Amino acid sequence: MVSWTPLIVAIIVISMILVALIVFRPSITVGKGGKILAFVSLFVFPILSGGAGLSEHMERSKTTQFCLSCHTMDDHGKSLRVDDPSFLAAAHYQNNRVPRDQACFTCHTDYTMFGSYKAKLRGLRHVYIQYLGKVPDKIELYNPYNNRECLHCHLGARSFEEGATHTAEPGRLDQIKANDLSCNSAGCHEVVHGIDKLGEAKFWNEVKDDGSK
Amino acid sequence: MDQNKLERRLRISGILVLAGLGVELVTLFWSHPTAFLLFMFLGGLFIFLGVVIYLLALLPAGQPTKPEATQP
Repeated sequence: MVSWTPLIVAIIVISMILVALIVFRPSITVGKGGKILAFVSLFVFPILSGGAGLSEHMERSKTTQFCLSCHTMDDHGKSLRVDDPSFLAAAHYQNNRVPRDQACFTCHTDYTMFGSYKAKLRGLRHVYIQYLGKVPDKIELYNPYNNRECLHCHLGARSFEEGATHTAEPGRLDQIKANDLSCNSAGCHEVVHGIDKLGEAKFWNEVKDDGSK
Repeated sequence: MDQNKLERRLRISGILVLAGLGVELVTLFWSHPTAFLLFMFLGGLFIFLGVVIYLLALLPAGQPTKPEATQP
């Protein structure tokens, strides 16, 4: 993922220098050039910096590191490294079925028109609860998990369309596609994060790009 | 508007924008939901107020003076 942070920092620093010029020498705004400088430094650059910064923060809020930066999410972070392919989240994370740096966001965004924004608004609520509310003992989804989020990637894939279990009964595939039969139903992909099973789980040591574990 | 008054408003506007940009700069080096909130609500508020004060400073201060009546 390309980071625009250095460019945005440069824009903000330039803005600050220009604004400081106005603050310490407001008399320079008397002339026409000074008025243009004031307009650029007190209107154009702050809005530009704010917009660029907001865009960067929005992108950052999609990262796995961001989601796991709250202590509350520690167990969910651990669940991505469980050494057991029956743990759905772990299997997706470890086999690159989701981008590792955006693992949470890939599965927990509603793939609808305003899905990303809804997810971020819920994120704001989570921060509110973290500081001013009571964090629930067990973290649960707001609504039952919608198959749409799985089908965003799996629809059309041979392993999904021709999978032995998916086609075992006539009409089952249609039920899955219509979200009438949940992918996380008992007997199917029922262990997702498996938070209550982490105690006895073994963990996989991810090898980083630099060779470290 | 009186030049001193204009300069004072520009200075206040500049200080607010400077504070807002400072908050935004700091939060860019911190990847955490709290940084996002500080960026949005503290930095955003300072910048918004600074820009509004700047725009208000551009408006004429009072009623335009009436032209002097000509003597008959």
